[in-house]
Amino acid sequence: MTAAFRYEFLMQVRKRSMWIANGVVVLLLGLLSARGREVGDLLHDPDAKATVTSVAVAINLILPVVYGCFLADRLVRDDKLGVAAILDVTPSSGAGRLAGKYLGACAAAAVPLAIVYFGFVALYAATSGRPVAFAWAAAVFAVVIAPAVLFVGAFALVVPLLIPAPLFRVLFVGYWFWGNAITPDAMPTLASSLVTPVGSYPLQELFGYRGPAGDTELAGPAPGAVFNFLRPEATPATAWLSVGVLLALAILVLSAAPALRARTTR
Amino acid sequence: MRPIDLWRYEVRRAGWAALLTPPVATAALVLISLFDSSPTADRNLVAALEMALPLATGIGAASLVGRDPAAELQLTMPTAYRSTLLRRLVVTLGWAALLAVLVVGILVATDSWPQSRGIASGQLVWLAPTLCLGGLGFLAGAAFRSPAAAGGLISTVWIVQQVFSGLVQDNYWTRLLYLFATTRGAVPDDWTANRLTLMATALAFGAVGWLVLGRAERLLRGEAE
Repeated sequence: MTAAFRYEFLMQVRKRSMWIANGVVVLLLGLLSARGREVGDLLHDPDAKATVTSVAVAINLILPVVYGCFLADRLVRDDKLGVAAILDVTPSSGAGRLAGKYLGACAAAAVPLAIVYFGFVALYAATSGRPVAFAWAAAVFAVVIAPAVLFVGAFALVVPLLIPAPLFRVLFVGYWFWGNAITPDAMPTLASSLVTPVGSYPLQELFGYRGPAGDTELAGPAPGAVFNFLRPEATPATAWLSVGVLLALAILVLSAAPALRARTTR
Repeated sequence: MRPIDLWRYEVRRAGWAALLTPPVATAALVLISLFDSSPTADRNLVAALEMALPLATGIGAASLVGRDPAAELQLTMPTAYRSTLLRRLVVTLGWAALLAVLVVGILVATDSWPQSRGIASGQLVWLAPTLCLGGLGFLAGAAFRSPAAAGGLISTVWIVQQVFSGLVQDNYWTRLLYLFATTRGAVPDDWTANRLTLMATALAFGAVGWLVLGRAERLLRGEAE
């Protein structure tokens, strides 16, 4: 597992196109924020927790789309290159290799995210003189961003075993917007629920984030909305439950991979 | 080989995956509108034309380069490889267009087509964003030579315009490049200018992509995995 982790991580992190694509995205976000004068305002915001949380929301809404597209060919690639059968006869266990590949790919996907996020936090801490921002940022990264990476990573690795990678990318991007950014009163959506990977429950209950204007209910039941059974009252307990549900779903999806691979490589 | 055989071959080569992507993306929004009992449910079908179809086409166009197992062989053919790739782009766009006309037909027949758009000029609802993302996908595929990177870029442009809709539209020039001016447009008077700008941009993307593909040696250098 450690060797699979190491090689998968290095393969992905050395991919020049991954850095270029992430760079283009960050440039695009930077230009948009600069036009909206948001960066200047944020750097001088006295509330460190609110600042690092709102930046995490923006990053966590956009960058998963990039790494979701990149991770979509990681498992099917072994079959395409014809090395899956060779790897299968090595003494390493299939489950260990899968776990290593999954965690290695996810860790590599998190590197550009972490650089962008903690880069901003360092700038903020230096400008505003509030080093406590690092502690809040580490907590947000662990509770909100990391579960999102693991959730997206599991689906991006496994679903392309069922459907072609380009179709997965289209459906994933559509899902990401629909399932995270649309409010439940606009149309039936999985947003604001326990299974919202952008982390509506922990953002609201553990970090006090309530939208850019500070007055939006991000989590909890919405009057008359479909899928309200997935939206219990928002409390710190349901926030942790949401993190647990996202991780459990990731493990569940990943556990289907060996059976799906056996079907496709037969 | 007759030209018609070449086209038929390209359609077959695209495979069911490429042909299935645009209808599945469109069907996903149709499915949501079936769940949706609100009076704005019809809007989802127009959204399928303006949002789902261009995304599917853009990612399809982004996946054209880097999938041939023996690009070296393609480069030795009398037909330039970039001409083959352009033919594949036309197949991708043509399939999306066929599907779009079908959806428009359903909307018109069920009296759900937006009254403010004529049927002929209203085709720009899907044509402009589809061409724009298709052209950008072609260029990104040529530049990155990696479907994952090129698809990631298309996806990002799409989701940034969705999530930061207000920021993108608060300036005249960026508003002209906004992909969803029909369903989420802030200034209805700019609609025609927006559509024409998107199509002109698509041409520019396609032309630059064509030039980039002219450097055959770049196509031989494998993408680091």
